Amino acid sequence: MTQDIRNTENPDKIKNKVNDIEYFFSSTLSPVNKKGAIGWFCTYMPEELIIAGGFIPVRIFGRKKIIKSESYFPINFCPYIKSGWESLLAAADNFRALIFTNSCDGMRRFFDITSKYLDRMPSYLLDVPHLKNNEAIDFFAGNTGDMKMFIEKLNGKKIDDKDIENAIRLTNKKRRLLKEYSRIFNKLSHLIDISTYYKVMELSMISDPEIFMDNLERYLDFIGNIDKTSTGNGVSLQSDHMNSPAIMIIGNFIAEEKLWEMLSKMNLKLASEDLCTSNRYFEKQVVTDDNKNLLKSIAERYLNKPQCMRMANLSSKLAEIENNIVKNKIKGVIFITLKFCDNMLYSFPLLKQRLNDMGIPVLYLDIEYNNFSEGQVKTRVQAFLEML
Amino acid sequence: MGIKDRLKTGIQKNLNQRYIKRLLGIMSVKPVLYAYGKTFPSASDRYLNIFTIESLKKAYSGSNRPVGYGSLFVPFEMFYALGITPFLPEVMAGFTAGLGLAPQTLKEASSNWYSQDLCTFHRSASGAVELDLFPRPDYIITSNLACDAAQKSFYMHSLKYDIEKNFYLIDVPYRYSEESLRYLTSQIKNICTDICSKTGKKLDISMFEEAIKLSNELRKLAIEVGSLRKTLVNYPPSFNGLNFIMPFHGLAGTKEAVILYKEIYKDLKKYLDKQHKEGPDRNKPAKRILWLHLKPYYRNEIFDILYRENCRVVFEEINHVYWPELDYKKPFESLAKKMLSNFLAGSIDNRIDITLKAARDYKADGTILFSHWGCRQSNGGARIIKDSLKKLNIPTLVLDGDCVDQSNSSQGQVKTRLQGFIEILNS
Repeated sequence: MTQDIRNTENPDKIKNKVNDIEYFFSSTLSPVNKKGAIGWFCTYMPEELIIAGGFIPVRIFGRKKIIKSESYFPINFCPYIKSGWESLLAAADNFRALIFTNSCDGMRRFFDITSKYLDRMPSYLLDVPHLKNNEAIDFFAGNTGDMKMFIEKLNGKKIDDKDIENAIRLTNKKRRLLKEYSRIFNKLSHLIDISTYYKVMELSMISDPEIFMDNLERYLDFIGNIDKTSTGNGVSLQSDHMNSPAIMIIGNFIAEEKLWEMLSKMNLKLASEDLCTSNRYFEKQVVTDDNKNLLKSIAERYLNKPQCMRMANLSSKLAEIENNIVKNKIKGVIFITLKFCDNMLYSFPLLKQRLNDMGIPVLYLDIEYNNFSEGQVKTRVQAFLEML
Repeated sequence: MGIKDRLKTGIQKNLNQRYIKRLLGIMSVKPVLYAYGKTFPSASDRYLNIFTIESLKKAYSGSNRPVGYGSLFVPFEMFYALGITPFLPEVMAGFTAGLGLAPQTLKEASSNWYSQDLCTFHRSASGAVELDLFPRPDYIITSNLACDAAQKSFYMHSLKYDIEKNFYLIDVPYRYSEESLRYLTSQIKNICTDICSKTGKKLDISMFEEAIKLSNELRKLAIEVGSLRKTLVNYPPSFNGLNFIMPFHGLAGTKEAVILYKEIYKDLKKYLDKQHKEGPDRNKPAKRILWLHLKPYYRNEIFDILYRENCRVVFEEINHVYWPELDYKKPFESLAKKMLSNFLAGSIDNRIDITLKAARDYKADGTILFSHWGCRQSNGGARIIKDSLKKLNIPTLVLDGDCVDQSNSSQGQVKTRLQGFIEILNS
């Protein structure tokens, strides 16, 4: 099959095939869930422990339109949380348990609402420090130990070091594959739609990790071959798109399918990203060491991965962003935040100032969730790209 | 025009730090200060205002260095023990509302890209920092306690003043456990040690002992004041428990706080004695209101309406003494315990527990939760609080508004909703 495509010189056909998620991820997309799912929300939640406990970590994307949820939360509250709650109200039975983190004020209250109004659902909140010094790492390692006990109680199965080691290996491999996918996407961004890229990212967070990785490896094999072909005689696969300015997207839980589809249709080269739905999820491996406690290794990885704006030291976050801008020759930044995300909103004045100092223009967008006003956003993005 | 209005107009016309300093200089001259104090009808209000002006004078004077910004729920006992003059930007944001300066500070914040969806306490304070209205800090100590906002906005202040290395976040854990206590104690101790190494002073444990003993005195008096209020109905004119947030936190560990709370006690005791002597009004007993969260700090009608309609705010959650007596022999651990005991930390259950207890202790007929725009931690729990109080047959009004930005609060709507709620209480 791969050979057929490689020999085809019609770029449209190749592009269609590359974006055929249903074809490449057919097993991932099949609704099989024998092990039971544990729902999670934030990339500071160590998936390794859920896997080690014999469960599937399934991130809750909350695709439901907000209706009932409005009566539980105020108007000016995180739309992702409201949407997540709507999903739980509609289909909590899909989960064996839920694990929250104290990522932000909104998440704390989401956990409270769930504990009160879905009181039969086993729910746990993992305390994540805001600092990342040695004491914070030790403290966080202790908290993950507490979370491990919560998972053990769900099926009465003790999680031993071997289970955790296996889960670390598996999760590290998934991260490696996603990173490779991200690398190829940046290179073949004229072929792989932005919407395809983020769909794969979403699948990586909601699927059985082994089935997903099996599919992803096959997919990577396919697009990797295209990459090699285009490197060899790539002229036919190039487009105007390659000459467009490199854009970086910075945001929080941005999983708006309509937004990605809209951006896919525009002449936009997405060269770098800083999102809860991509690099903050897959960057940085858990490094184990014979002399080190496994939970501590996990804690180290999670507190030192590309950080969310919730963490204390925003300067180190800005340094991460600056490095990405320089490394990827970024010409403009699109800052997208879900409405009412305090951590994002407070970081913007500082980011704006730094980007100004670097001479990088930035477009500020705040959006709802599952309620995307395409016309307005499209006009603003188009104007921004034209300005660049 | 009275002295307060003259002050207000003067500062509105001359919005700059130099004028504020000059004003504080004049105000804090003893005869002027006492003359100003006499404009307040009760001794407690008088002392509150005098101590506030003296505290601001110190922070602005330039001769009481180092100055430290602190967010509301950090233990200010450590400031006094370290010889740091505290300054509370969030409380000052309340003053910007009271003095009619918020339109300017909020405008400045907006022009510096602070979103209008953010809490106006922090936005107004940030605007004031941008306008250079606050004294320059040497240290900034904040925490994640209660909400995300302080740690972010205070960090921005540290960059603005180029003192990032003197910015300290006290990372308060979600749960109260042995591990949490260790983690927090160690942070507080490390911060104090680090500041001492920067100021070149030796960590003086006796200063901590003194501050903690005074803090314990304040705690004891605040509990006694609370006890009086369990039966008190008629308060001194203009008394509002929501005005004492600054001394309750920002003066904890000082003699001034102890003096003030003694005055509050005396004032309220006088009224309670009078009430006992006259006997209760059996014909039309006042409706007893428990107040949650804060209030608008600009001129508004809420409390006048409540008073006219024979409703009395009998307790405010912010005046709840949530921490145990502190052990002055273990200062860092004690301050960590104080922070971990805060009912706004962790689960909403902590807040509900004290709300339900206060509702019972103060025999509340109804509860008003002031829903300050942008306060996710409080408003996000409103539904649960309302449902929990409902189980005790206590109705709750979630009153939408804004503590700082008058333009973000519809007075007409507030009035209508209050009147509707009062009808429910009287039905």
